[in-house]
Amino acid sequence: MTNTQISAGRARSASAPPAVSVRPPARERGTRLLTALFLTPTIVGIVVFTVVPIVGSIVLSFFDWNVIDPPSFAGGANYREIASDSTVLVSFRNTLVFMVLAVALQLVIALSLALTLNGRMPGWLRSVFRSAFFFPLVLSAASISVVMKYLFNQDFGVVNWLIGLFGIAPVPWLTSEHGAMATVIIVYVWQQFGFSFLLFVGGLNNIPKEIHEAAALDGATGPRKHLAITLPLLSPTLLVASVVGIINALQVFEQPYVLTDGGPGDSTRTVVMVIYERAFEQLRFGEASAVGVLLFVLIMAVTAVQFRLSRRFVHYQ
Amino acid sequence: MWMTDSHLSRRALLRYGAYGAGAAALAGTAASWDRLTGADIPGRDDGSLVVATLGSAFDPAAVQALSAGFRKLHPDVPLRVNAVQAVDWSDFFAKILTQIAAGTAPDLVYVATEGVQLFAQRLGVPLDRWVRRDAAELREYFADVHPSLVESMMYEGSLHQLPVEFNAADMYLNRQVLNRAGAGFPPADWTRDDFTALLREMKRSSDSHFTPYFWTNRLWGGVVPWLFDNGTNLLAESRAPGGSWLWDTFYPAADRAGRGGGFRWTTPQATSARVEETYDYLASLIQEDLCTRPEGGNGTNLVGVFSTGRVGVTPAGGFWAGGLHLAGMKANAYDVQYFPRWRTQRMQFGAAGYAMLRTSKKQDAAWEFIKYAARKDVMTELFTANQTTPARRSMLTAGRYRETGPTRWQVFYDTLDKFPDTGPIPAPPQVAEVTDVLLKYTGTALASPRSVAPALRRMQGDLEQAMERAL
Amino acid sequence: MSQATPTLGSVRYRLAPWARIAGLTVCALLTLGPVIWTVSTSLRTPAESFDLPPRIIPAHPSTAAYRGVFDQIDVWLLALNSTLVTALVAAGQMVTAGLAGYAFARLDFRFKRPLFGLVLATMMVPLQVTIVPVFLVLKSMGLTDTLLGLIVPAFPTAFGTFLMRQYFLGMPKDLGEAAMLDGAGPWRIFRSVYAPLATPGLAIVGVLAFNYHWNEFFRPLILETSGQNYTLPLGLVSLQGNLGTGSVSVVLAGVVLSMLPAVAVFLVGQRPLREGITSAGVNR
Repeated sequence: MTNTQISAGRARSASAPPAVSVRPPARERGTRLLTALFLTPTIVGIVVFTVVPIVGSIVLSFFDWNVIDPPSFAGGANYREIASDSTVLVSFRNTLVFMVLAVALQLVIALSLALTLNGRMPGWLRSVFRSAFFFPLVLSAASISVVMKYLFNQDFGVVNWLIGLFGIAPVPWLTSEHGAMATVIIVYVWQQFGFSFLLFVGGLNNIPKEIHEAAALDGATGPRKHLAITLPLLSPTLLVASVVGIINALQVFEQPYVLTDGGPGDSTRTVVMVIYERAFEQLRFGEASAVGVLLFVLIMAVTAVQFRLSRRFVHYQ
Repeated sequence: MWMTDSHLSRRALLRYGAYGAGAAALAGTAASWDRLTGADIPGRDDGSLVVATLGSAFDPAAVQALSAGFRKLHPDVPLRVNAVQAVDWSDFFAKILTQIAAGTAPDLVYVATEGVQLFAQRLGVPLDRWVRRDAAELREYFADVHPSLVESMMYEGSLHQLPVEFNAADMYLNRQVLNRAGAGFPPADWTRDDFTALLREMKRSSDSHFTPYFWTNRLWGGVVPWLFDNGTNLLAESRAPGGSWLWDTFYPAADRAGRGGGFRWTTPQATSARVEETYDYLASLIQEDLCTRPEGGNGTNLVGVFSTGRVGVTPAGGFWAGGLHLAGMKANAYDVQYFPRWRTQRMQFGAAGYAMLRTSKKQDAAWEFIKYAARKDVMTELFTANQTTPARRSMLTAGRYRETGPTRWQVFYDTLDKFPDTGPIPAPPQVAEVTDVLLKYTGTALASPRSVAPALRRMQGDLEQAMERAL
Repeated sequence: MSQATPTLGSVRYRLAPWARIAGLTVCALLTLGPVIWTVSTSLRTPAESFDLPPRIIPAHPSTAAYRGVFDQIDVWLLALNSTLVTALVAAGQMVTAGLAGYAFARLDFRFKRPLFGLVLATMMVPLQVTIVPVFLVLKSMGLTDTLLGLIVPAFPTAFGTFLMRQYFLGMPKDLGEAAMLDGAGPWRIFRSVYAPLATPGLAIVGVLAFNYHWNEFFRPLILETSGQNYTLPLGLVSLQGNLGTGSVSVVLAGVVLSMLPAVAVFLVGQRPLREGITSAGVNR
């Protein structure tokens, strides 16, 4: 909002004692009923289709289950097993590396483009660019990964042909460890940056012009100064973009599954791929659930850290 | 800011639009309620015999014909064929497993060599008693199907499926590339060194966007055919005892010699000298730029690059003839030959058929379907596009391959007939882990020079772990 | 700052418009490149699929691949199913997210924070972990192998709820207070004051739901058994052919066809989408 201070001031007056005492009890009952009605669809749905299955998964993580025979209690054996399983450990490392690089890249690209687009240019052109950058988001990750597999092929792909025009030797995109991780990141970021981009465009639009004008009056000119003023004001947007970006990145599956199947070696195997393989290929549902529980804990922890950090670095107007 | 005029009018417009959309949605939902609940699907949950097939294997018209024919034959047995649209075997399997977990499993599942032993061990029913009962009726079938295919469907002495299709790994060669290299078509008894020399010729006569040899990084068509060629295997291979009940009934003495009750794949031998030698050879091809490093993942369209002459040679089975035809390749623009001889000229295949589930309450009806699906007229109707090789020898005819090629179509079945030791890919019940391990370390072994030996050592360790694990 | 820097800065500023537009154009081309390649390859014959440099304008344009798609799969039934699922999920999510988002933003109740935390936490659970339990829950409701089984579990939306909460938080509080002083009850305040302002936010929830569920593969694969219940992404798989032998052009034609509705929804929903997103990232 353009002026949060005003509404914050009003909010304070609204919760002042007189307002509460004036409110008739009927209204209070109405509010309670309304709250219940409004929350029920979401909460009931979440409980039935997410909480119950999650609890089921947590319980399952203490059992051995191959689907075919009845589950048998295994205590902490699944957790002990995965703690010493190099594939699982590597998949967590890959996922974290992927998350850091993909989210960073996504935010930097999105922010640069949003800032650049914020400059003076014809309205229709701005709109064309905006649509172009958002476009990959409407595509299916699995289909587009199939397409990307053609494009990144070392010998016949368009990408190596394109960089060849600049004299760069063909890169083994999908068949070398670093190349494969790079490709998965590129394909993922290509599809995802549009979302952060739109968030930033929105965030920039909401920064009042007066702030820049005031800064200019104070003698702050040039792109760097510009950025120094803009960034803090954009920090709430940055928080949302990075939280959503990280939650999604930690669950990456389609791109590595289609592009590299986790290889070469384990170099692009992600946690969710391990969960899928353990459960549906190797019939070790208990172990798969245990890995799932660990991933859930990791995502919660990372998100909590972010919110904690955000208290220090995010500025609300 | 919220109350400007333009906002209001547009918002009002949006609101009416939303009302309209809401009403339309309600009406649409009501109208399509049957669609939403599946109530418009005839014969649902009515105790039908349920058959699950891999959707991409047959086209819908063929599946229609398959069910219609069965209904005519057995009007008393309601049948539902569910063509599961999975990208690959593991997706398909994920689907079937979930149904098993929920107790809604189908009666019959179309299973390829990869899953034969897993199903046999954990889920399936041996077909022995029905095969014995209907022996007279089946004699014609077995006479038409190579014993190697039948043996690959046996587990510990019992038969679990009647094979209906198979694909052996043969070499596809692009004629245009051969001509460019000034090379003749290789003879049936060519050697591995002839093969290497041919790749070099191809490389010399082509530009930089060309790769002489291309392969897939799977059990089938990847490293395993070369292991067979070099007289070894990933897992030590032996035969289970038993099976003579079948061999003695259906096959002449010459054909049943040495057959047993199905394969046993037990001790991993990834660090053996022969396996290492095989990997070293493939690594040397990559070093010389005669072939690319293997890619993981799915969706590779090798057909496309081969048919356009960007690849000269690749291992594939009968299923490729249809694919190349679809890609616009002329019948005489390519041809097939056996794998070149190395220490042996043993080749590899995978087969598929219907497995009956233990949980099925309609096993007799299911058996009738299995028999029906293995009939020649039914298979002829199903396998029209040459996207696989029929398991029946008599179905491979000049007429079948006239339009699609290859000219040497006899190679497909002769891979079995002329090389009786040609065998199935190693697929113990732990096949999923074996495949994962193979894929993973093949990628590592061939990703950089001198990494073969260490990668094979780690492969061996992981294979040992996988094979020890009871399912 | 030194004397030189502002000059440098202003030079850069003067050059900026052209450089900016050029830079953005390059980025836009890189972004759309794969899409353009897909469309153009679907219009080429398979033999030309891998030509380098890629022919963006096909030498022999052909719609054979599109006919192939219609020959090989029942596009209309698949599209009907996908439309039903996607439209109802989108509508349902707009309702649940609108209501819950409002409650979390504007109503006071006990356990508000932990409940909101619960909603957000559901974003953090990968589908692959819960699909088997979800299948069992649906089975107990008799909803497996129905389209409803795909639709109903997708009604609650964590991100949508979060978004709508942000959206309602962004609206001036005094509007509701004014209405309350006029004697409006809590329902009227929602219905007449806030809900009408929320349309752009709801549009973004709808568009995001449409994008996601139109392209969804894993849930339909596991939950739907009968061919009559398949959605478009499932149907497209069979274009890849047995063991990956399908024609590239046909596969890509399928990709293009399935992309069209998502593009249409994107174009129609673009404006509210933009406004919706604009306010999402800004308030607490």
